[in-house]
Amino acid sequence: MDKLKNITRSLKFPALGLTLAFYVLSFTPCCFAKELSFEATVDSGKVSLGSSLQLALNFSNAQNMPAPELPVINGFQSRYLGPSTMMSIVNGKVSGSITHNYLLLPTKVGTFKIGPFKFEHNGDKYTSNQLSIEVLQGQVQGPAQPSSQAEPEIKDLSDRLFVTIQVKKDRTYLNEAVPLIIKLYVNRLGIRDIQYPEFSHEGFSVSAFDKPNQYQELRNGVNFDVIEFNTSIFGLRPGEFKLGPAHIKCNLIVQKQRKRNSTLASNNSFDSNIFDDFFGRFETYPLDLKSGEIAFTVLPLPEENKPVDFSGALGSFGLEVTAAPLEVKLGDPVTLKMVVSGEGNFNTVGVPKLKSEKGFKIYEPQIKQETNEKKFEQIIMPMSAEVKEIPMLSLDFFDTQSGEYKTINRGPFPIIIVKPEKEEELKIVENKQLTPAVFVKEERLGRDIIYIKDTPGLLKKKSDYLYKNKIFLVFQIFPLLLYLITLVLYAKKQRLKTDLRYARGLLAPRKAKAGIRQAKKYLDKADAQKFYDTLFTAMQEYLGDKFHLSSKGITISVIDEHLRKNGVAEEALVKLREIFRECDMVRYASSQLTQANMRDSLIKLEEVIDYLQRRKI
Amino acid sequence: MKKIGLFFSASFFAVTFILIPCLRSSLAQEAAGNSPAALFYQANIYYQEGKYDAAIKGYEKLIDLGLESGNLYYNLGNSYFKKGELGLAVLSYEKAKGFIPNDGDLKSNYDYLLQRLSLEPQLFGNWFEKTVCTLFQAATIDYLTIFLFFIYIVLVVFLILGLFFSRLKRYSGMVLCVLAALFILSAYALNRKINYLSKFAVVISNEADAKFEPLENATTYFKLSEGTKVEVVEKAEGWYKVRRFDNKLGWIDKSTLKLISR
Repeated sequence: MDKLKNITRSLKFPALGLTLAFYVLSFTPCCFAKELSFEATVDSGKVSLGSSLQLALNFSNAQNMPAPELPVINGFQSRYLGPSTMMSIVNGKVSGSITHNYLLLPTKVGTFKIGPFKFEHNGDKYTSNQLSIEVLQGQVQGPAQPSSQAEPEIKDLSDRLFVTIQVKKDRTYLNEAVPLIIKLYVNRLGIRDIQYPEFSHEGFSVSAFDKPNQYQELRNGVNFDVIEFNTSIFGLRPGEFKLGPAHIKCNLIVQKQRKRNSTLASNNSFDSNIFDDFFGRFETYPLDLKSGEIAFTVLPLPEENKPVDFSGALGSFGLEVTAAPLEVKLGDPVTLKMVVSGEGNFNTVGVPKLKSEKGFKIYEPQIKQETNEKKFEQIIMPMSAEVKEIPMLSLDFFDTQSGEYKTINRGPFPIIIVKPEKEEELKIVENKQLTPAVFVKEERLGRDIIYIKDTPGLLKKKSDYLYKNKIFLVFQIFPLLLYLITLVLYAKKQRLKTDLRYARGLLAPRKAKAGIRQAKKYLDKADAQKFYDTLFTAMQEYLGDKFHLSSKGITISVIDEHLRKNGVAEEALVKLREIFRECDMVRYASSQLTQANMRDSLIKLEEVIDYLQRRKI
Repeated sequence: MKKIGLFFSASFFAVTFILIPCLRSSLAQEAAGNSPAALFYQANIYYQEGKYDAAIKGYEKLIDLGLESGNLYYNLGNSYFKKGELGLAVLSYEKAKGFIPNDGDLKSNYDYLLQRLSLEPQLFGNWFEKTVCTLFQAATIDYLTIFLFFIYIVLVVFLILGLFFSRLKRYSGMVLCVLAALFILSAYALNRKINYLSKFAVVISNEADAKFEPLENATTYFKLSEGTKVEVVEKAEGWYKVRRFDNKLGWIDKSTLKLISR
């Protein structure tokens, strides 16, 4: 219990301290660590006679500063409007400021310098900056009183809305990164839809714009809201160039001029209807703001003293190298970590080179690039036990600040290569049936190439390949021919099987020949009866097969009509008729024809068949 | 009887007038030490004596005579290796691979040589080309030609038999697809091997600069170490435009590399 009480007591005091600190910070006029500064600003550098402008005297890092009493200002009458304070806590740091506002009424035309204002408080003396104000005779247009014609109004806004372009230096080396800043200045105007700048950059490569910065800047005594666009440019070829003009597109918001038909009674603050704001009280006008141009010189890299290994790195760099582990077995990897840091074009920075790669196997590095540094991680592998150190690493670059080539060397790094303990490794091969275990020695004492061949092998003519051999190439046709012939024969066979007309037509001469041969035998025997029977049958079958008709029904009248249709010559028809007649004479009339008549009939039939075969009817 | 008599007469004529003079000429050449075999053995003796320059000269004399073999290129590669000209050793082993791709000695020596040069086996082309090359790496150009011819014959026989045996027709689609695929793959592999001889080269100098342009003072794009294989894609006077296995292209001095076909 005592212990618990002690803990509670010890906890109470820090808690109380924190609470007190909070109250001190919150309610006391803080003790600001920074020095107090005194600054004078006006809301516009130009004012018309009869109008007014606001003067602000700002004390930063102070909140209890009384209002300074303004001296008599030449050309103006002044009136104190009141103070405004601001306090901010950023990262635990408290800062505050007080601004005393005054109304200045011009009394004459001209350009007046006001200030510097001097102020003394608690024995401390403060002096502000000086301001320049131009008082004009005519009307100076402001955003609160725009005319209905936007163009003339915009022309007059050039001192309140403009773009500047600037580079840190106007002479650069090829590929050197140069920061480029484009600023949009806005003084008490409503601007929206601001686009990223565009500018002509012939001869340059341009990086992407960073996220724009927004801040306030005092320029000739006038406070401007500034939008700053940052990028880098690289000269691509030597020569003299012009950068810009930079264009920024945006929309200007202006208040519509009110109609003059309102009555005096209605001309009061209640007259401004809230719905006017929604339904057309403001209008947007697209603007294309243009900056000036910058002359720019891109210099070539000097050839003098150029290092042999120079790979184009430009800038001012430092190099850090670490190697680990520094005691490895032969063939094990060592990691080299190299960090190149500094300023310059990191795209041009290559991996630092080893002075010698002998005894190492080098792998391609892994590269990681950040804003102001580039990291390389490279694996190297010692391949020889003779290696005692990782050789020196060097980075060559052209220092654009000094205009000369520089080389950074790091290392060498001593390294211990541990040889394998035994060249001969023992492997235990266990055999469940045999005990004890059998030791098999794997011998590997070294390595070299295997000896030459004793015989020349099959020596052949150079480029004498089989695919070039003409006989072999010609021989390729035969299998294809064989296939084609087989295919044709197969198709023919199939037709004979399926196409009866074709089959009969094809067989007709063969059958006729057989019949004629038989008839000849009967001719030799002078057997007229059998001769004409055979001759008639042969003729009938031939004509039946040839014209795909029933053989038995073949008569001279049938065949005569058929042949006539097919355009057979009259001579052949006469011969056929004669054969038919002679056959009928012998077969039905028992006429005795001589052997000469028989031969004559046979020849006639052969001639007719020959004629019909040749005519391919 | 007449036929037997004719056969003996022809044999006698052949032995007397063709074979004996050829044999005599061969023996005479052998005696004079000019026969290809004698030149080969002589070069082997130089190698055994450690006279690698002389051995190289001997083997190259055979090549100059228009002869080549796997063993010849293997021995030449060994000689270059011993002499320390590792780029030329790679070239010789590459040539030997065209004849004896399955030779264990060649594989072992080539592996060791690549290890000495800190080089990995380099395969060119896309995944399909690499797969086909790996599949057919054990085949020589002649073997692939015979294999293609064999597929062709099988294809024809199958088509002929398919006409007469209806059972074969059932499987014809599948078999024809397999045979056609094999034929196409083999033909592609053969084409690659033929192209390989004429288009590929080996870096024979210690280091070669591949430049953006075929000019002496052009910017170096990448470096090629001794023994690296490259594909020659274009030729200009004194320069070759080469492609590395990672598809990087650059112009390289002609004298720093040698084509495998030469």
